[in-house]
Amino acid sequence: MAGILKVPGAFDVTPHKVSLCILLQVYASPNQLFVPFPFSSFAQHNRLGLFLLALTKSCDDILEPKLHELINQSREIGSSSIDWLADHLISRLSSLSSPDDLFNLFTEMRGVLAGQDAGIVEDDQIILDPNSNLGIFLRRCILAFNLLSFEGVCHLLTNIASYCKEVLSSRAPHEAHLDGSGVNLMEASEYENMDLENLVFEKVTEEIEAKKKAGERIPFHLHVPTPIFGLVEDIELSAKPTFKQSTKGKEAISYAMTLDGSSGAVDHGFFLRSNWQIQGYLLEQTDAIEKHGSSFPLNALEFMLGQLQKLAPELHRVHFLRYLNSLYHDDYASALENLHKYFDYSAGIEGFDGIPPSSGFNNSGRYEIALLCSGMLHFHFGHPKQAVEALTEAVRVSQQHSNDTCLAYTLAAICNLLSEIGISNASGLLGSSYSPVANMGTSLSIHQQLFVLLKESLKRAESLKLKRLVASNHLAMAKFHLMHVQRPVLSFGPKASMKLITSPINVCKELRLSSNLISDFDIESSMMITDGSLSTTWLKNLHRQRGSSVIFEETEPGNRSNASSFFSQPNSIPGSVSQLVGASYLLRATAWEMYGSAPLARMNALVYATCFADCASSVDAAVAYGKLIQYLAAYKGYKAAFAALKTVEEKFISVSKSQIMVLKLQLLHERALHRGHSKLAQQICDELAVLSSPVTGVDMDLKAEASFRHARTLLAAKQFSEAAAVAHALFCMCYKFNLRVQDASTLLLLAEIHKKSGNAVLGIPYALASLSFCESFNLDLLKASATLTLAELWLSLGSIHAKRALTLIHSALPMILGHGGLELRARAHIAEAKCHLSDASFSVPETSGVVLDSLRQACDELQILEYHELAAEAFYLMAITFDKMGQLEEREQAASSFQKHIMALEKVTDEEDPLLK
Amino acid sequence: MGSKEICRNELRIAVRQLSDRCLYSASKWAAEQLVGIELDPVKFTPSNTRFQRGSSSIRRRFRTNEIMSTPIAGVSYVSTPVMEEDDIVDGDFYLLAKSYFDCREYRRAAHVLRDQSGKKAVFLQCYALYLAGENRKDEENIELEGPLGKSDAVNKELVSLERELSMLRKNGSIDPFGLYLYGLVLKEKGSEHLARNLLVESVNSYPWNWSAWSELQSLCTTIDILHSLPLNNHWMKDFFLAGAYQELRMHNESLAKYEYLQGTFSFSNYIQAQIAKAQYSLREFEQVEVIFEELLRNDPYRVEDMDMYSNVLYAKECFSALSYLAHRVFMTDKYRPESCCIIGNYYSLKGQHEKSVMYFRRALKLNKNCLSAWTLMGHEYVEMKNTPAAVDAYRRAVDINPCDYRAWYGLGQAYEMMGMPFYALHYFRKSVFLQPSDSRLWIAMAQCYETEQLHMLEESIKCYRRAANCNDREAIALHKLAKLHCELGRLEEAAFYYKKDLERMEAEERDGPNMVEALLFLATHGKDQKRFEEAEVYCTRLLDYTGPEKETAKSLLRGMRMAQSGFPSMSAEHFPP
Repeated sequence: MAGILKVPGAFDVTPHKVSLCILLQVYASPNQLFVPFPFSSFAQHNRLGLFLLALTKSCDDILEPKLHELINQSREIGSSSIDWLADHLISRLSSLSSPDDLFNLFTEMRGVLAGQDAGIVEDDQIILDPNSNLGIFLRRCILAFNLLSFEGVCHLLTNIASYCKEVLSSRAPHEAHLDGSGVNLMEASEYENMDLENLVFEKVTEEIEAKKKAGERIPFHLHVPTPIFGLVEDIELSAKPTFKQSTKGKEAISYAMTLDGSSGAVDHGFFLRSNWQIQGYLLEQTDAIEKHGSSFPLNALEFMLGQLQKLAPELHRVHFLRYLNSLYHDDYASALENLHKYFDYSAGIEGFDGIPPSSGFNNSGRYEIALLCSGMLHFHFGHPKQAVEALTEAVRVSQQHSNDTCLAYTLAAICNLLSEIGISNASGLLGSSYSPVANMGTSLSIHQQLFVLLKESLKRAESLKLKRLVASNHLAMAKFHLMHVQRPVLSFGPKASMKLITSPINVCKELRLSSNLISDFDIESSMMITDGSLSTTWLKNLHRQRGSSVIFEETEPGNRSNASSFFSQPNSIPGSVSQLVGASYLLRATAWEMYGSAPLARMNALVYATCFADCASSVDAAVAYGKLIQYLAAYKGYKAAFAALKTVEEKFISVSKSQIMVLKLQLLHERALHRGHSKLAQQICDELAVLSSPVTGVDMDLKAEASFRHARTLLAAKQFSEAAAVAHALFCMCYKFNLRVQDASTLLLLAEIHKKSGNAVLGIPYALASLSFCESFNLDLLKASATLTLAELWLSLGSIHAKRALTLIHSALPMILGHGGLELRARAHIAEAKCHLSDASFSVPETSGVVLDSLRQACDELQILEYHELAAEAFYLMAITFDKMGQLEEREQAASSFQKHIMALEKVTDEEDPLLK
Repeated sequence: MGSKEICRNELRIAVRQLSDRCLYSASKWAAEQLVGIELDPVKFTPSNTRFQRGSSSIRRRFRTNEIMSTPIAGVSYVSTPVMEEDDIVDGDFYLLAKSYFDCREYRRAAHVLRDQSGKKAVFLQCYALYLAGENRKDEENIELEGPLGKSDAVNKELVSLERELSMLRKNGSIDPFGLYLYGLVLKEKGSEHLARNLLVESVNSYPWNWSAWSELQSLCTTIDILHSLPLNNHWMKDFFLAGAYQELRMHNESLAKYEYLQGTFSFSNYIQAQIAKAQYSLREFEQVEVIFEELLRNDPYRVEDMDMYSNVLYAKECFSALSYLAHRVFMTDKYRPESCCIIGNYYSLKGQHEKSVMYFRRALKLNKNCLSAWTLMGHEYVEMKNTPAAVDAYRRAVDINPCDYRAWYGLGQAYEMMGMPFYALHYFRKSVFLQPSDSRLWIAMAQCYETEQLHMLEESIKCYRRAANCNDREAIALHKLAKLHCELGRLEEAAFYYKKDLERMEAEERDGPNMVEALLFLATHGKDQKRFEEAEVYCTRLLDYTGPEKETAKSLLRGMRMAQSGFPSMSAEHFPP
């Protein structure tokens, strides 16, 4: 991207590297004998070698350890030699007082390497192979030193002086209480260290320590086991990846957090290693922000970015991150400011530095992206008008610069905008100035415009082979088909059929198409690894660990090991792809929910929650969990649902204004209704209504839901005319905003209201209307429930209609028993029993089995739900049946159960609900 | 005037004291003001008034305010204190150190003074160390330029200096100059509040150190801070306030202050230049030019502020004057950012934008934070149609000083050029916020709204109205307002604005197609509204013009006469001429 200006990955000589060189010299001093001087054994010598290896591997990290950290780390090598080593290191470093000393030092270093005369090698001589890791490191250092200008040497010298100074000044007290504070210091340094290499190293050293402690139990044999130690260590080292992945998850989290918190890290300054790493780090952060949304720590990142910017003023992506950060924390002014800043700086060529822009973007190819981003920004902050203006301009500019990619994305964004902001809001929005697609007349309805746009965008994305965009367009299309009842598009003339339909087949098709994406990415995954992210795989690992441990904490424990082994191999599918695929599952779940197949909906949600949760944004994950909990509530009762809700709430603790809150209120409301606490229900209902935005046309779903629940509450409180009024208003609103699905359920509610108010004749047309709505929109479960209501209505008209009602019930029963929730099933059972009972031709002794069976089931189900009213009814019917059959004992039992439920219903306890707080 | 004599005496001593402490720029400033005080022509020979020749009648002509005759800033309560002198042997060391200092061998100077305890010596030692550190910092900035433009060089002496100065302050053995240096160090370290307090303390006890004042001025970023400073009354405070007002874009206040100061320092080049700056901000180019001409006559080798003069010459397209100026500064000192900017301006005027960019770049190399160079370079890139580079340059200017409305305007312009009017609006909004009295900014914004892509005419009208209210020199706004209202079918409003526009054109004796358009509209409108006399007047005026309008006017007249003379509704069309 454009932020990169100069050659990445410059290898400078730093004080840390100089001290590594000195240690290397100790390790491989050419004139030493079998076991070099400070070491008492091979093992110690080997350990120093391993230590150096680890350090050289981590020398490209962003942060270099300070001298005292280095010494503390090296303390783990062995007790006898370390003090000598540290002293040697410090004295060598502090003896460097002139540039010439440095020159001499590096000339000496050359001696460490085996030169051409390496032919005469004695057996016991230690030489450093120039082609070994350590040798290459040393050679790089020497080369880098030789490339330095005299000024560079002077700077190195002053840096070394300040590098030493801290240790020299702190050394005396440090040694004074070596036992106590040494550990503390080490711990402190542990948290300042952020890179995996060191982390691994420390783990290894911890292990060594542990082994040593184990060894110390037999103090007299200390000499003997040390070589064995060395061996064991080697094995452990080679096996380290599995080790770190499996057990140290928690610790890794804390490291990752210090990175985010960064207070310790930035204090002692960054050593900017390479642009790639910074870029990769920024990419990581971007993902993290998008994933965690507002729960991401604002100030910590802001601080970090401030530091970064100070160090690297030409790294403009920092501004973009700032933008994202403030966007997700709803800071409009700062988001806008940073967005403009980023694009002002990074757009096109980099000003006059004379550095050509990186490949892939033409000179002016980014301003349309700026517009796209600013459109999304306005959209995010709820300024649809500005958003449309910006996006329209983006369309125009990208057409001008023939940037088809951006155009496709912009179209997708416009579609998104149109489908989100609600229909009534949008009309008039797309005024005269608006015609991104030339052939689109303004006479078309917003729906049709949206449809045409979606098509257009999809076509474009397909022709440009933007796979992700294609997939997301397919998803948008599926959503469109799912949510929008449409007349056949572009049908003219009087003969055109005006039937409203939804097309589940299309939904299914689009969903399939969108998940094809993942197979595409399997094939070409290698191309998708961005340069920056490659160099920060270690960071990714940390993040993954965090992600996985969050997700699998509460789920089955068996999953965890699975997950970590899954993640330990590099994941070839980019996060955005799996996010998209995940979204398709989520949408599938929603679709099934609407079409009325509970098991399938549950299955899809489950797939999402288990497979895609780690790459999902927290909002999406919350939706999936919400669906699962709703399922629990409907099929397993409230106890299970609330238990699950509790764990989920802990997980999404930061996402305050989210689905989880809505879900909780929904569940509470439902339960309050069932238990007959209408006051509480009303209160919850009001709370739900408050959650939605006060702007008209925004958050329509939530508003409809709140109003629907309000009507139900009134109905439960037997205020029929008020309930009917609310339901009417709701119907009008839904009609106005084209929420056809809600229309169907509102009609059903109206039927229900009339039924309850004893006005069955009035109710029947509503039920029929709802039925026909459901039929044309393929809402199977709702249809079954409408059929049931219809049957109940017929039944309440008199026993002559019992037969008809029974047929109706029987027709709906397969659907209800297969997919319906507890309440619906219970209702069906009761209605069936009632039909039998009221049927004149019905004789108790013969068919009582059927009646009792369904009543018993209904009772069980209703008791789980604590639905006192219906349960009382069921028990009442049961008692009557038993009475007719003459089984007095059972009759008494049923009657007492009836009494219990009636009592519970009447004694509306004002117990404080712990969940409500 | 007694106060003049007082000022003169104070300054005379101050110049010596300041240059004794090697505070050269402050002493330069003081000396300039000293010479700038008007002399009594009776007492002095012409050679003394050398600098004051040409006490221009031209300038007097432009002077608007009468000089107030109140004595300057009350009575100054501090008379120049006689600074204690260190004893003779130490004085010798001091002399040596000062010579080293004068040869820019700062560390040597500091070394000579290492054991001295006199206040003067201590100050000079610290100051030398500070300057040595600054020098080193500049060098390191170049040496250390990292792969990402990182340059975190700091003045390494700051820490030790702060320690020493704070100790001195605790002992109470710090003099006003030490306080100034302490403030400087703290400002560099970023503790602005403390720095402000110290500088206030310094200027309160020794008000003649202009460097302290100007550091203080740079720390006053808002008007509230400025008003909260506990400053004692002294005539130097007026200089300070005038400068601070200018920085805070309160140009009229600043101008008033300077004109008041001119009563005493009537020949001060500094004040003249500052007045020119204020006038420039108020876009009174004529006056600025006059002032600069005079300045150059008196002080031909001046480079400071001359880039502003070149801007004026550029705006007035005075090729030869600009080239003359460029040549002059080039000969004087070509490695000054100002000189480079002037040369850049010259090339820009000549249409050689590449060369001009080269000179602006040189200016930026000399001073990375040269605001005007960034902005001007942005203009050049706009001319060269290299909008991305222009955007970058403007953006840097804005990041150096977020109150630079010109750069914001430039950004907006660049984006508008790229056909992104909606995006450009953001920048115009910013610039208008900073300078709401500039009609050009409002017009630019209105034009954005007016573009066919956005076509938000209501907003556009609002902007034009604002532009018309703030002295729209090019008189675009009124005409546009009339046209837009006409387009929206609001004929009464349109007529109102056409009339206004007409009045204005009459007042300014301008003529042209706008005039014809206004007359034609008014004539037709008058006729439609049955205000025949009015319409007739406009028609007759139209007859003075050639072209199709004349014919239309004739037919209109004929139609009206007929309507008036009783022929019912026979329009002119039936009687083609």
